[in-house]
Amino acid sequence: MARLSQPTWLAALLSENGMLLALLLLIGVVSAATYGEQQPTGDAAARQLAPKLKDSRVLIVVRDNARDALHAEQMERTFAELGVSVAGVVKAQPPAARDAIAQLAKDGLSFDAYVVNRPASAWTIYARLGEEQASLRDLPVHAPESYYWPSFLRADNLINVANQVAIIAIMAIGMTMVIIVGGIDLSVGSLIALAAVITTRLIRDVAGAEEADTLGMIFCSIAGIGVCGLVGLFSGAMVTGFGMPAFIVTLGVMLAASGAAYLFADGQSIHQIPETFIWLGREADLFRIPNAVVLMVVLYLLAHVLMSRTVLGRYIYAVGGNIKAAWYSGIPVRRVILSVYVMSGLLAGLGGVIMASQLKSGSPTYGQMYELFVIAAVVVGGTSLSGGRGKVFGTLIGVLIIGVIQNGMNLVGLTSYTQKVVLGGVILVAVLIDCLRRKPNAINA
Amino acid sequence: MRRRYLPLLALLLLLLPACGQRAKPRGVIGVSVLTLTNPFFKVIADKFTEEAKKNGFEVIVVSGEFDVAKQQNQVKDFIVKGVDAIVLCPCDSQAIAPVIQEANHEGIPVFTADTACMDKRAKVVCHIATDNYGGGKQAAMAMIEALGPAGGKIAILDYAQAESCIFRVQGFEEVIAVHNKEGKGRITIARKLPGDGQKDKGYKAAEDALQAVPDLVGIFAINDPSALGARAALEKAGRQDQVVIIGFDGQPDGKQAIKEGKIYADPIQFPDKIGVNTMRAILRYFDGEHLPPTDPIATDLYRRADALKDPELR
Repeated sequence: MARLSQPTWLAALLSENGMLLALLLLIGVVSAATYGEQQPTGDAAARQLAPKLKDSRVLIVVRDNARDALHAEQMERTFAELGVSVAGVVKAQPPAARDAIAQLAKDGLSFDAYVVNRPASAWTIYARLGEEQASLRDLPVHAPESYYWPSFLRADNLINVANQVAIIAIMAIGMTMVIIVGGIDLSVGSLIALAAVITTRLIRDVAGAEEADTLGMIFCSIAGIGVCGLVGLFSGAMVTGFGMPAFIVTLGVMLAASGAAYLFADGQSIHQIPETFIWLGREADLFRIPNAVVLMVVLYLLAHVLMSRTVLGRYIYAVGGNIKAAWYSGIPVRRVILSVYVMSGLLAGLGGVIMASQLKSGSPTYGQMYELFVIAAVVVGGTSLSGGRGKVFGTLIGVLIIGVIQNGMNLVGLTSYTQKVVLGGVILVAVLIDCLRRKPNAINA
Repeated sequence: MRRRYLPLLALLLLLLPACGQRAKPRGVIGVSVLTLTNPFFKVIADKFTEEAKKNGFEVIVVSGEFDVAKQQNQVKDFIVKGVDAIVLCPCDSQAIAPVIQEANHEGIPVFTADTACMDKRAKVVCHIATDNYGGGKQAAMAMIEALGPAGGKIAILDYAQAESCIFRVQGFEEVIAVHNKEGKGRITIARKLPGDGQKDKGYKAAEDALQAVPDLVGIFAINDPSALGARAALEKAGRQDQVVIIGFDGQPDGKQAIKEGKIYADPIQFPDKIGVNTMRAILRYFDGEHLPPTDPIATDLYRRADALKDPELR
């Protein structure tokens, strides 16, 4: 790296920031695109509606879930402060709500308006109730006026995005290293399926199915990840031992691993696993941040230290930059390449365990096409496909760019076909940038 | 340096027009189907959307394309978007359950069309699908009608992995049993072989049936591809005039075969009715009605006479 001339080095730095810039810009675009109605809840909603409802008795109607219940509770309290009397609160899904309101009216409860939240405003039970009971005829239904804010930037969506990209992000660490040494690993998608199937099958058949304990599940997960590590070792050995092209080796391994996953699972999805297995993939212990995201962040920090502060990290860059020069300077080239493929396999296996945990089942159909998303993320993140250059944090940005685009397109409501076209375009542009970036280098050399 | 990002920026800006201002809808419904490449699901999605628009709802249609992890993310995005209802044709009857439970937790009603969710912990308001049991009965009636007073030995090409196909065979066998009690034109189910719902497997299974039962007079295949495979086997053996075939589904090539007399009749499914009824189920739910857990859509027997009148066939 130090051999690069000053202007190119500067350009590289600029372009890394460029990716960050692209991500920020993308977030801006997606925010603008998902800018739309949001509903004030709780206290704010009550304050907004109170002037309209002075001196009336209202019935609050919301859905049957924790957030709506909180909303109703806050409204009730604020209404009491502002002098709006609340006749009652109905927390239920439409059929139950209709029954409950009918019963309340029969019991002699009187009120002269409904106050509902946005979801309950889509229901038509109020008109039906009016048809059935005279006391409920033509009662007005008040929903809070919406305000405008991008739904992309809502906290729950941001956590959602992080959770969705966690698996690809974790796999992309391994892929970054593989691509930096000048290789490629097409097998990671199949390894997801393999790890998921092995782990869940072991839990079902060995650890005791739904009654498996935590320790058993950990061992089964380690076994699943370990097998993927061995598969990575095999790929690496083929590449280093026989000089086979990584593309072909991992293509073969991809097919073999996918087939093996189908064999292990008998072509079915395995779902006889304990409820607690979802801890890794779906629970959030630290400040509402999902555990998989925490794991992802930790792994990225470790990978950053590995790549920038350790001997192995330097070796990886050196091998990718110029394999002959690395060889002559006494770097154990084969061992470096081997270890990189093993890491890629292990991380893909971990991704498979997380996916099995998220879906609470293991199926050989998991991870299809994931290798392409992972490679795309790495390339978008600025790692050069010709090896020798790249940063793990660049990859993280690449993963986020792809994740934000996918999430944004889902929120906006683009069809899956359009989504494919857009993603393909983004990948092409990223490779184009990689080529443009390399050009001055080539001239300098 | 910045100029190099212009193409990327241009691409991103292309996304903007996709999200122009819309008239304020009554609510939004998220739909994720199994695949949009199969016309069956395309019709479900299109008819559903049409019916929803009529009632002032906006619809987001996405497709899991057989990938349950992808479908899970789509449903999660629906939940974040705060849709009023979710309609699913699950890519996996088991693995889809956790995300349905997430929607349950948020109080968003979930409806399934065509394929059910088999995990009882995930709550689905209503499952709208073809009445496969009734369709099987219709298939048996067609078989009785085709064989007439002579009766004879028949074979069933089944697909025991799919619940829908198990029901089809069940309905079929029950009607045949009742018919046999009457004593006229006795029909014996001589073989039940796996046709797997595929053309090549149907072909092989029918070949085996022809070998094993020399006096075979009828075949009931649980869908059109396996029925067409069976027809190919009959033609190869030169026995197409001695053996009648009853299929199932009413896919375009199945209907065409009925028109050409290659298949005697099909109980046909109505994806358009599934789509429309799914939206109506949502409206009834919002009306506060207690819905039954399933809404079976009856099949209709489709014979050559229907095919000759069918404007969609050439």
